[in-house]
Amino acid sequence: MLETSIFIILSLFMLGGSIAIITNKQTVFSVFGFLIVMIGFGGMFALLDNRFLALAQIMVSVGAVVVLSMLAVLSVNAQEKNLPNEPYKYRWIVFSSILVLPFTYLIYKTLSSLAKEFTTNGFTSKDIGSELFNSWVLPFEIVSILLLTAMIGAIVIARKDNS
Amino acid sequence: MLNLIVTIPFLSALILALVYLYNPSKKREKLYASVGVGSILITTILSLNTLYQVVSSGESINTLLYEWISIDNFTINLAFIADPLSAVMIGFITFIGLLIHIYAVGYMSGDEGFGKFFSYFNLFMGSMLLLVLANTPIIMFIGWELVGLSSYLLIGYYHRDGANIKAANKAFILNRVGDFGFIMGILILFLVAGSNGFTFTDIESGISKVSLTTLSFIGVLLFVGAMGKSAQIPLYVWLPDAMAGPTPVSALIHAATMVTAGVYMVARFSFIYELIPNVGEFIAIIGVSSALFAAIIASYQSDIKKILAYSTMSQLGYMFVAVGLGFYDEGIFHVFTHAFFKALLFMGAGAVIIAMHHEQNIFKMGGLKKELKLVYITMFIATLAISGIPPFAGFFSKDAILISAYTSGYTTIWVLASLTAALTSYYMFRLLFVVFHSKENTKSLVKLTPSMTVPLVILAIGATLAGFAQNGFSEFLSITNSSLNIEHSLELMLESLNVVLALIGMGVAYKLYSKDAIEAKANTLVKKVIINKFYIDEIYELIIMKPIVAASKLIANVIDPKGFDLVIKLNVWIYRSTGEVFSKLQNGLVRYYALYMIIGVSAMSIYIIIKLGV
Amino acid sequence: MNPDMFFLLASVLFSIGLVGIISRRNLFIVYISIELMLSSINLILATLSKLSNDPAGSVMALIIIAVIAAEAALFLAIIIHLNRLKRSIDSDDFKELAQKGDS
Repeated sequence: MLETSIFIILSLFMLGGSIAIITNKQTVFSVFGFLIVMIGFGGMFALLDNRFLALAQIMVSVGAVVVLSMLAVLSVNAQEKNLPNEPYKYRWIVFSSILVLPFTYLIYKTLSSLAKEFTTNGFTSKDIGSELFNSWVLPFEIVSILLLTAMIGAIVIARKDNS
Repeated sequence: MLNLIVTIPFLSALILALVYLYNPSKKREKLYASVGVGSILITTILSLNTLYQVVSSGESINTLLYEWISIDNFTINLAFIADPLSAVMIGFITFIGLLIHIYAVGYMSGDEGFGKFFSYFNLFMGSMLLLVLANTPIIMFIGWELVGLSSYLLIGYYHRDGANIKAANKAFILNRVGDFGFIMGILILFLVAGSNGFTFTDIESGISKVSLTTLSFIGVLLFVGAMGKSAQIPLYVWLPDAMAGPTPVSALIHAATMVTAGVYMVARFSFIYELIPNVGEFIAIIGVSSALFAAIIASYQSDIKKILAYSTMSQLGYMFVAVGLGFYDEGIFHVFTHAFFKALLFMGAGAVIIAMHHEQNIFKMGGLKKELKLVYITMFIATLAISGIPPFAGFFSKDAILISAYTSGYTTIWVLASLTAALTSYYMFRLLFVVFHSKENTKSLVKLTPSMTVPLVILAIGATLAGFAQNGFSEFLSITNSSLNIEHSLELMLESLNVVLALIGMGVAYKLYSKDAIEAKANTLVKKVIINKFYIDEIYELIIMKPIVAASKLIANVIDPKGFDLVIKLNVWIYRSTGEVFSKLQNGLVRYYALYMIIGVSAMSIYIIIKLGV
Repeated sequence: MNPDMFFLLASVLFSIGLVGIISRRNLFIVYISIELMLSSINLILATLSKLSNDPAGSVMALIIIAVIAAEAALFLAIIIHLNRLKRSIDSDDFKELAQKGDS
């Protein structure tokens, strides 16, 4: 009961946040919505008894990604007049949502046919850790190289050309 | 050996052409002459040898050169047959061809296209031999077409003058019109009688089960081809214009050989024409009409070669009277004698033309019998021969035709043919007297080379003696089935009648033309019509040419741009506008591309939901 | 609390992210919508992991979070670079894919 109500409140926040993401003209407000949605995701992972994942979500997604986005938005510092003017924004949103509806329904129906009840407990860091370093070592290493490459790439792309 | 007879002229034509094309401006007359005449010399020797073999053994020779088509039972081979008819034809074709080749060496000397001329000339000889020796109508048709081609090439030999090219086109196109009938005839013949094979002997064996109406149809269609090739009414209008070619060409092609191909064809298909005497009557009627018609026109012509052209048409009419009425031996015999004296006449005319610095109007010549003695004597002999005065060759052959016409009961044809004989004598002697007798002209003459005069003598001897071969000829050929049962006294009377008519014609010409030669003026309506050749050319132009040209213009200017182009433009417009619509989708904005992807995904999802009932 | 709720939430958030990509021209918002989609996939993975009692799902979600971080860096770097080029963060201004003459 408690869990259900927490879930409902959290999901309302997330929905509100995501609507804010897609409908705001000012970029900063969208980033705020992004923030809320990411925190909400962290809460969702916690509701699933997946402590490590919730922690990782808050640390990385919120702490790194959202902050980075905010940094980028503020450093671009677009003035009101330089923001793209989208005259038909709401029409596009309505039209796309109608378009996307069948796909959403299909996904939901497919997924919900899997099971009806949660029957197990959640995972601890120990469980995830042992799984990660037993079967998933290679992806782990590759991800570390990926992060290195992304870092170098980002520096190369974003630096000023002093030519 | 027959293979050699056909291939040697073609080979030498090819060699001459290659050597000529290698360097057209170099003068190699000796080389061209020796190759050109030499090949015909070899061919003549081989042909006479073949003739001797066929005469002595009494059997035909069959040779195979090349297996061309062989599908199941249907075979067409490049094979030759030398039965009496072919053997006789190749005998005199090559002999007279050789003489004319020698003549042409003198006539065409100094001309810049000497090698080209002999190449074409040899091509013609090869084609004619192919036509005559073929043992299936299809190979004969190939020869038929090649002969027409050579004729076109040679008529248009002086290609710098546009009128000559037009004449060559006219000859070829009219020939083609005739060939259309010929092809139809061969096709229908194949359909009804070609089940055993398609050589002449095979067709002959398969002919018995064909209905008479079909046979008549075939006969008429084949004769249409002969009408075109042998210049009978109505497809004759090319022959006078063909005189634009050099005189050796006129002598060989348009007098002695090519134009007789039609007569040969009728004789070759005698097994068909025997069964359809109605068509034979039709052929004879066309023949005698052409003969009379041409004789009337020739009486008023002033150009020496045109007179001889109409004379050829007239004599061909006689030949068709003979083969039409079923007297194939007599017809071929007249072909044989006619080749001698007509070639002689043309060659003599050529000599006169050269001597008079290429003047061709007879009324500008006169009194040449003193200077050109040899030409005068030989042409006199030839004129006597063509008028049918004994003992020269034409008497025997023409008489045979006239008598056969009379005794078969075709009195009208006999009357018209006899009238034509009188006219023939008249206009030929008119030509002789105007050119050689009447008042003198004062131009100085060109000397003639022996290469031009010696063949004249040989042909004159032939024209004198050829008539005596008549009996042997009929026995040898023996195609004619009907025999002439006629009283000896009646025969003598008819013969003397013919001679009298000929002498009357000669007398009238002598009276009118031996002293003063005055060109006929078109002062009465009749004269005007005759001098303008009955306006036949103009009538053809009006009835046939103008509608065709108008139709072509209509199609080219109206139907093509407005009709077909419109459809094509419509097609193009559809593609283009569709393309333009679709090109708007590619606007370079990635957002839209993502939208298209989502549309696709959405459509698939709807499909899955509906069809699979999720 | 049954899995259906989580799945429903994840699907809806995914579709909202999809709508955001198509409809908006602002490059940052496009980026954020992409992150939204990725995170909803994470949620689905975590739910599945709990359903089947297999920690592999959670590990996958973890790795995806690492990828998100990498991608964030690159994406934002590109946006800043593009802004430097054309002084605009409007995706409709970057039309170099189109040829001359196209609309």
